[in-house]
Formats: sequence, C-alpha cells, structure tokens
Amino acid sequence: MKNLKQFAFVFVAIAVALTITFYPRAGITNSGKASVQWLAGQGEPQSEFLQAIAPKPLKFPQDLGPHEGYQTEWWYYTGNIEAEDGHEFGYQLTFFRRALTPETAAVDDASDWRSNQIYFSHFTISDIDGNKFYPHERFSRQSAKLSGAQAVPYRVWLEDWSATEIEPGKVHLVAKADDVALDLTLNETLPPVLQGDRGFSKKGPEEGNASYYYSIVQQQTEGTVAIADKSYAVTGRTWKDHEYSTSALSPGTVGWDWFSLQFDDGSALMLYGLRQENGDIADVSSGTYVSATGETQPINHTEWQLDVLDTWRSTKTKSSYPSRWHLEIPKLDLVLDGKSLIANQELNVSTNYWEGAVGFTGTVANQAVNAKGYVEMTGYADRLDVVL
Amino acid sequence: MSEFSSPDSANSSVNQSIPTVDNAPLWRLAWRRVRRRPFQYVLFVLGIAIGVAMLVSIDLANGSAQRAFELSTDAIAGRTTHRIEAISPIGVDEELYRELRTELGYTQSAPIVEGYVVAEDLDRQPMRLVGVDFFAEAPFRSYLNDNSGSSSNDDSDQGIEALTAFITEPNTVILARDTASEYDVQVGDRLNLTLAGQPTAAKVVGILQPANALTRDALSNVLFTDIASAQEVMSMQGRLSHIDLIADNEADLAPIQAILPEEVKLTTAQAQKNAVQQMTAAFKLNLTALSLLALVVGMFLIYNTVTFSVIQRRSLFGTLRCLGVTQGQLFQLILGESLVLSILGSVIGLGLGIVLGRVIVGLITQTINDFYFVVYVRDISVSNATLVKGMGVGIFAALFASVIPAIEAMRTSPNNSLKRSTLEGKVKKVLPWLVVAWAVFTVGGFGLLSIKNGGLVIAFTGLFAILLAAAFLTPPATALLMEWLSPTLSRLLGILGKMAPRDIARSLSRTSIAIASLMVAVSVIVGVSVMVGSFRTTVVQWLDQTLQADIYVTPPSTTANRVFGSVDPTVVQEAYTWAEIDHIVTYNDTDAEVVAFNRDAANQSEIAVDRSVKLISADGDVSAGQRPYAWIRDNVKDPWPQLDAGEGVIISEALMLRAGVSEPPETVTVESPQGSLTYPVVAVFYDYSSDRGTVLLDDDLYLEAWQDPSIASLGLFVKPDVDVDAVVTQLRQTFKGRQDLVAQSNRNLRQGSLEIFDRTFAITGALRLLAVVVAFIGVLSALMSLQLERTRELGILRANGMTPPQMWKLTLLETGIMGSLAGFFAMPLGYVLAWILIYVINVRSFGWTLQMQIEPSYFWQAWIVAVVAALLAGVYPAWRLGEMVVATAIREE
Repeated sequence: MKNLKQFAFVFVAIAVALTITFYPRAGITNSGKASVQWLAGQGEPQSEFLQAIAPKPLKFPQDLGPHEGYQTEWWYYTGNIEAEDGHEFGYQLTFFRRALTPETAAVDDASDWRSNQIYFSHFTISDIDGNKFYPHERFSRQSAKLSGAQAVPYRVWLEDWSATEIEPGKVHLVAKADDVALDLTLNETLPPVLQGDRGFSKKGPEEGNASYYYSIVQQQTEGTVAIADKSYAVTGRTWKDHEYSTSALSPGTVGWDWFSLQFDDGSALMLYGLRQENGDIADVSSGTYVSATGETQPINHTEWQLDVLDTWRSTKTKSSYPSRWHLEIPKLDLVLDGKSLIANQELNVSTNYWEGAVGFTGTVANQAVNAKGYVEMTGYADRLDVVL
Repeated sequence: MSEFSSPDSANSSVNQSIPTVDNAPLWRLAWRRVRRRPFQYVLFVLGIAIGVAMLVSIDLANGSAQRAFELSTDAIAGRTTHRIEAISPIGVDEELYRELRTELGYTQSAPIVEGYVVAEDLDRQPMRLVGVDFFAEAPFRSYLNDNSGSSSNDDSDQGIEALTAFITEPNTVILARDTASEYDVQVGDRLNLTLAGQPTAAKVVGILQPANALTRDALSNVLFTDIASAQEVMSMQGRLSHIDLIADNEADLAPIQAILPEEVKLTTAQAQKNAVQQMTAAFKLNLTALSLLALVVGMFLIYNTVTFSVIQRRSLFGTLRCLGVTQGQLFQLILGESLVLSILGSVIGLGLGIVLGRVIVGLITQTINDFYFVVYVRDISVSNATLVKGMGVGIFAALFASVIPAIEAMRTSPNNSLKRSTLEGKVKKVLPWLVVAWAVFTVGGFGLLSIKNGGLVIAFTGLFAILLAAAFLTPPATALLMEWLSPTLSRLLGILGKMAPRDIARSLSRTSIAIASLMVAVSVIVGVSVMVGSFRTTVVQWLDQTLQADIYVTPPSTTANRVFGSVDPTVVQEAYTWAEIDHIVTYNDTDAEVVAFNRDAANQSEIAVDRSVKLISADGDVSAGQRPYAWIRDNVKDPWPQLDAGEGVIISEALMLRAGVSEPPETVTVESPQGSLTYPVVAVFYDYSSDRGTVLLDDDLYLEAWQDPSIASLGLFVKPDVDVDAVVTQLRQTFKGRQDLVAQSNRNLRQGSLEIFDRTFAITGALRLLAVVVAFIGVLSALMSLQLERTRELGILRANGMTPPQMWKLTLLETGIMGSLAGFFAMPLGYVLAWILIYVINVRSFGWTLQMQIEPSYFWQAWIVAVVAALLAGVYPAWRLGEMVVATAIREE
C-alpha cells in the first residue's frame, strides 16, 4: 500500500502540473504600458508664426473668432455665481487654441483630421459652500468638426463643451463632465475692454513678446450648475478674456499672478504681475480699472502694492500659493483685503496651476465695496519659462 | 544477498512470513540493467522524446501564432470594452464619431483607422498600421501618453511639443524599440511601406519603449501613426475602421445604441478574438491530432520496450519474489523505471520541441496568413503551459504503456516465472479475445464517426479507436498468416524459410507489437498521402473548371490567398475599351455575417447561425458556366443566370457544412448595412479557397445594400484567336510603373494557387515524416531486442552448424517478414484512414468534400518503407549475432 501511495503522489504532482496548463495567462490589457522616445525638437518654428509687435485695431465681431496665424490663443470665462438659497459657486471654462506648426501640411486629398491646430479646454466648478473643487480637462484637434472657433456667429467649442452666441451680446456656455455640469447664459452689459495699449498687451521687453488682449466684464449670468445629481439655478457675473499671441515668457520670469475682480458697484479691475526669479514683478506687468460705465484707466506696475498675507500649500505639488492678499492702489484710492474662497483650487491637469474664486472687500474712494473674482497663479508648481 | 533481509527487519516483522525488502537494492538493480543494455533504453527515451517534441512543437507554433495575434489585438484594443464596426467594408462614417463626442459627449471613445502594410525594410514583414487620434487615446492605450518612464514631471506640454511631428507631418510612424533595434532603425529614418501594392515612405518620429516583455511582444509588429496619415495612406478619408469604446456597464451604451445607423454594429472587444479562434480552431485541432498520432505510435514503442525489459527479467523477478520482494515493489520498480526514463525523454522532447517549433512556426503562420488572418511571429513564445502539457503527456503516455507489463511483472509467481513459454501460451489464449476487441473497437469507432454533427474531437476519437482496433487484430492476423506462410516459405527457402515464420509466431507477444506499431505508422503515411493526393487532385480539377477567364487583374496582396484593396476605377473603365477583350467579369468581396438559414420558407423554420463568411459580389461567372455545383435548386444546368437576375445567392458547401446544416437551405440571411437581408439560395458550389464559407451575390444587389462600388479583381476573357500571353505582356507594358496592379494569366494564377496548396500541406508532410521516424525507431528497438534476446537460442543453432551467412539470412528474413506484414496490414488500414480523413475529418473541419483518389504508388511506396525499415532494423542484430562467440552465447550459468 505504501507503494501505491508513492505512486499516488507522483500522479498528484502531474495533475498539479496539468492544472497549471489551465491557469489563466497574463493579458496585455492591464500591463500594456510603454513610453515613447520622441524625435528631438524640430528647430525653432516660432519665427514663422505671426507676432504681436504693435497695437492693431481690434474689430468686432471679427476678432471674437480665432487668429490661427498666432501660436497661442485663449477664450477665458470665469465667473462667480450664486444659487437662490445663497449657495456660492465659482466656475472656469477656458478654451485654449495652440497651433503646432505655422501651417497645415499640404497633402493631396487631405484627411479631415489633418490639422495643425489643437484645442484644449479647462472646466472647473468651485463649490464654495461645499468646499470642493472639480477640475476637468479635454484635448482635441481642430478637425473633423470636433473643436474649433468662429467669429460670426461667435462660437468656440471642444466636443460638447462650448460657448455659442445665441443673439448679439448673448452667449450660451455649456460644459458637462461626469460629476459636474454647467449651462449658463451670459448677457453683455459693457462693450469689450481693450487691455494694455488699445488691446496690445506687453509681456516682456523683447519685440513680439506681447499679445492682443480684450475682456468683456460684468456679464450678467444665469443658468444652472449641477454637481453630482443635484442641480442649482444660479445667477451671477462672468468675466471673459480673449487673448492671442506668439510669445514666450522672458527668461527669468517664473510665472504670473492674474487678478480679475468685479465689484458690486459695476466696476472691474484686472491686474497681472509677471514674477521674476528674484521675487520682483517685471516692469511690463500692468492692469486696467474699468468703471461701472465702461471707462478704463491703465495701471502700471509701480502704481499698485500687493502684499501676500497667507499661503496655502498644495499636498499634490507641494507648492505654496498665496491665499490672502492686501491690495492698495493709491491712484484709485483703493484699499482691499481678499482671500481665496476655498483653499484648494489647484488644477492638476496637463499643467499644474491655481485658478480659483476669490472675494475682496474694502474701499474705493472711501466707498465700501465688495468684489468677487478670479485669481490665476501659475509657475508655482511648474516654472513657465522652462515649459513654454 | 544479505542486504535483502537484514536481521533488524527480520526481527521487527516477526508476524510476517516474508520480511519486507528495502527498495534501494531494487533501484540499483534497475540501474545496473540500464548500464548493461543502454541501447534499449536510449530508444525508449528517444521514442518519448520525439513524440513529446512533436506535440510541443505543434503546440508552440500554433500557440505562438495565436498569441502573437491575440497580443497585438489586445495591445491595440487596450482597455476597449466595446467597438463600433461597420458592416460594409468601406468603414464607419467619421460623422458618427463626431456625434458621439460633440452631441453625446461620450469621451470614452476613440477613432481607429487601421490596415496592414508590408514593411519593405523590415524583412518585408506585414505590419499592422494603426492610425490613432492622440487626444482620444489616454483612456484606451497608454503607449503614447505615458511619460512616466522618460521625461520627469517638468510638464507634459513638452509631450505636446514633441508630438508635433507625429500629428502634423504626414506619414509619420512610431514603432517598437525591439523592431527598431533589430533592423537598426533610428528616429528620423524613413521606412518604405507597401500598402496593397502602393509604395509609401514613412518617417519614424518615435520609438516606443515597451514597459515589459508582454507589451514588447505585443507591439513588435505594430506601427502607430496619426489618424490623418492613416486615412490618407489607406484612402479612407472620412471613414474609420472602427470606434473603440469603454463602457463600465451596458446601460452606458444605451444612448449610443439609440443613434447607431443601420450600417454599423456594436460588438464587444472580445468578439473579434473569438472570431479568430473560431476560424482557426479546426486547423489547429487537426495539427494537434496529427502530433498525437506520433505519440500513439511512440506509446506502442514504449509498451514494447517495457514488455521486453520485463520478459527478459522474468527469471530475475522470480528469484526476487522468492527472496521476499513484494508484488507491489515489482510493480513500482517497473513503473519507476518508466517514470525516470519518461522524465528524461520528455525533457529531451521539450528541448527538441522548442527547436522544431522554431522551424515549423514559419510553415504554420504562412498557412494562417494564406487563409485566416495576418500575423507575423518573430519567435515562438515558449509558454510554460505547453511545456507542462508536453511533460505531462509524455510521462502519462509512458506510464500508461508500462502498466500492463508492470502488472505482468507483478503477477510473476516464483515457480512459473522461470518458464518462458508461459507468456506465449497466454498470448495464444488471448488471441480470440483480441479478435473480439477488434470487432468491438471497430464498430465503436465507426459508431463515433457516424454521429451527425458530432464535432471534430469525437471524429478523431473514432479514428483513434479504429487504429487501436487494427492493432488488436495484429497478433491473431500475424499468427494466422505465419501458419499459412511457413509451408510456402519452407518450399522456397528451405529450413530457414520454415524457421523464420515459426519464430515470429512463437514470440507473438513481442513480434506482433512491433508489427502493429510499424503498421500504425505506415497506415498513417498511406492515409495522409491518399488524403493529400485526393485533395490536390480535387483542387486542380476545381481550379481548371472554375478559372475560365484568361487574364486576372488584381491589386497585389500582402497574403497569397486573399486580396486586399481594390483596382483603380480608371483601370476598370479602361479595361472595357481594350479591343482584344471579349468580355470582363468583375468581382468584389467583403467579410459578412451569416445570421440564419431557413430550411423551409413556408413554415419559417429558421436555423440561427453566426458565421463570418466571405461575401463575393460578381457581375458574371468567372468559370463561364463550367463551375461544378454540389446542389442546384431548379433543374437547370447553370444557376448563374438566376444569380445574375438577382433571384438569389449561391452559397459554398463549406458554409453549409460547417454550420452543421446538411441539407441546402431555402434561404440565407446576411447582415448588411441595410439591416438583415434574406436571399433565396439557388445553388451550392464548391469552394476550396476558403473554409469560412462563401456567399456569391449579384453585384447590383451588393451595390444596393453595401454601397461599395469598388472592384477587387477583374477576370478578362480575350477574344477567340487572340494570344493570351501577348495580351498579358501588353497589359504589363501598359501598367508598367503602376505598382498597384498585377495582371496574371490563367496558368500563372492556377500555379500560384497550387503553390499555396502545397505550402499548406508542407506541415502535414513534415509531421508524416516524423511519424515514420518514430515508427522506425520503434521497429528498430523491438526487432533488435527480439533478436538480441535470442542470442542463446541462436548460439545453439550456431553450435549445431548454422553458418554466419545463414544467421544473417534468418535474421533479415524474420525482420523482412515482419516489415512486409506491417506494410501489408497497413494498406487496408491506410485506406480506411484516408476514407475517414476525407469524408469525416475534412468535411467537419473545413466543409470541403473531396473526391477520393487512389494512387497505387501510395500503397506500394508505404510497403517499401515498412520493409526497408524492418530490414535495416535487422542489420545490427545480424551483425552482432554473426560476430558472437558461440561458447559465450550458450553459456548460461
């Protein structure tokens, strides 16, 4: 019997080996990873793009649309909105256009997909009362009608995210992601504000290091915001920026801080500071004050004083972003204190930056004012002069 | 001898009459025997090794082809769960993708445009050109987007910058590192690609660094390109091959289902893999069965060897039993020997199998490329599963074959074990029962074969049963024949002629097994030869009848049997203007799904099937009415006019048979871009070019439903009295510089088709050869042992005055008779095998009915192989016996 047992053992061993035969094999689906060693840079194609060299009259509605000869362009919507019950939100819906090459390759019988233009879009909802931030990003190329922009009638879209003019002065914004959705109608109240010198905004001392830039501020906003399955009817104000250029940041510039504030008296303030390595802001940094009736006043970098009172440290990028400010512009007799409405409004998408809803209070010309707005802070996690 | 019963064990087992003996001395005994008779064991090991090697090599080659295809399919599918595919070959309208994205906002979707190209600089291997939209890729495939390995976190804008060339420059590709380094391709190099005959140059803008071995294998024959380039290169502007989707649950797909137009369908990613598996299953099973046949022959040989080793040691076993060795210990000893030898044999077999697999993988992938799908196998992937399987089968086969001899050894009782005649006496008694066993197995085997829709496994089981039955019949048949043969031979050759048959009959327990294994091997040769020969004759005849047009114009194709791409419409237009041409028939084909047959239109008895078939649209009969039909509905000679009038379709026999439909159906339902369409079946034709099944349809109906006006091939009938070769030469002159067209004369095309045929059966030939080698080794070992065992007996004969030449004569006569017998028995068995292969296996595997063609040469050639093998096996023993010293030979104690 002992012998039989030994044999039984052998057979069991073989049986075990055979079961291995039927053991499922590793599939590629879960492990299929690779990285690409790309062809090194194709030289400096930037010279062939159009550049913003001098002021050029901006015409509407033509200039609402894309300017494909310039490498970079964006249509930026930010707004502060509120539900009837006082539930506060902020939103950002930005469409970026980037030309990969100055011209589309010439091909006979070209594919609809052949394009040198790509669009990407950032869509965020800041649920102020819920202290939650929902950032989303999408990419597409301007081809096969998947994304694009046009002036008449004005429309910018990336797949099912879009800004579409429904009648002159009235734009419909739609964006939807798996957890949040936005459906807003914007009504213009003021004509476009030309930033800088008649819309020519310098970003560095070099020639061509500038952009064409206009804003449409204080747009009456109403519609719905949905978070998960809950939908809110909201009203508020939206700020739109449209800017295009073929510019790189000057060496030594690590990023920028950009402020857009909309006061409850109908006025608005835009400031941007280009931060240098040494902590100073570049000389070309500037801003614009827009009165409630639409008159503008330029502000140069010597005319404002901004102090950072507190910072917030991102756990994801380990970067510290300003979170409380004290702002003084003596020329306007303006003194404001502000803070981010929720701390974490950092986008960790293809690039890392902070862009979020802020609230300021203080006085302008001895009048107490409140302002809501948006602040964009770049170059804290990734240095932009290296990236761009 | 004291070690067998140490005082200790004797004391400790007072109650036992015979003390248990330790195993170690037995193992030493076995080892001594191996050293003394190494040759026998070498053959044992070799028999197992070759059997296992065949099994392993076939498995590895098949598995590698399948795995290469699956891996690249998986790699390309990525995390895709569902797929939108077009029913028509023109692809999915890209508008649908736009709708998905911009109206439904379904972001888990990606457009793919893919096809096959031949990479001229990479050994002309076929590569899968996969056109992707980089921006839609991320959820699906992480090859292009994953930068974790290379650049740090300085930003992925860098990635977008680097992608510029890939997206904006036409004809840029990315290929895998291994492929690049194998052919010394650098980033920035240009690759020459050929797509359906059109040469294109592609610039390499990236080298893919696969993260692991699996990914490396999977991507080795993939070229990624931008979707725009893919559309331009493949002339698929506005069209997509398919749209990949990720859906976490079926409900997510509901909104998509709602907008899908008729001409596309939503399938699962798994479905494609299944279809491929289904396509090649029969092909693979056939090869596996052939390799198993070799193992069966090998088992005969092992049985033989083990039986010998037992018989030769009967007296020793008797002695051991007297000394207290238990029955179990003897059983264990025999099986233990077999186990050790089989492990050794299997390990050698695995090694051989891997080497062999490398050789035959080319043959197998060629066939798969010709008939099924495009795959390129760089090297076989040695899967552990295959090795374990080979090892297991080798060991099991050896142990199984050893069980009967081991039981025999176990049953050896001390007193009669010394008598050699006992066993032979027993065999004599068993003979009638063997006839019964033969009858039972034969009836059982044919019973299995006659099960309708029984499937291939049952058919092969029946075939093996019939083979085994024939082996059972060998001993009684041998005994009978020897009795008849003895007087005749004695008249012819004198005393030696009388002795030889008697010797064979007397040692029936061993001789008959040697004969049986040789017979099985030879019958396999006969059977397979007849089948291949019949097949070839049938195909030649069919080609002669079917290919009646004088000249064929097609785009050149990446594979021999299937046409990809289409003929330039301007060429088609031009062809109609040539003066020498009498008339032209045009063909086009696509893959389609047959969803149902209807046996009786009146009472709607539908048979649901789901078969992927080749749908051919034709505007005329390329056979000019000569084509043979298996069945014609109405009593007409040629059903083509009915087809031409759009009254119905003609289906291939393979389509019907492989779907398990034995009677021609009334109608057939095909999935089309317009939904399911049902056509009456007017005839069933033979088609040996595809085992998937074919549906012939009038071109007007096809154009209406599939909206695909392209033409894949032209058949030109030249006017009478015009020299065909001159026209071909003239056409080639006209097409000079056009690489997208091939003009072939009827004869060339026929030759080409037969080349494919012969290539397909090259693997069968290789397997047949191996079966012969195994059988040869078996016979060699059996006959040699048989003769060597008789050393003493022959020594006595020598002592009594037999001369060495007589000794040679006797030995060769004996082995010669055995060889002839095996060859003789193999003829009817071979015929039966051929019959089964042709009328059962082939029909069930491929749906092809062949005309059986008997060539006498197959039979006598096989007989010669048997006799020569047997005679050769006699040479060494004859030489040994001739050299022996008589005194040594007859001295026993």
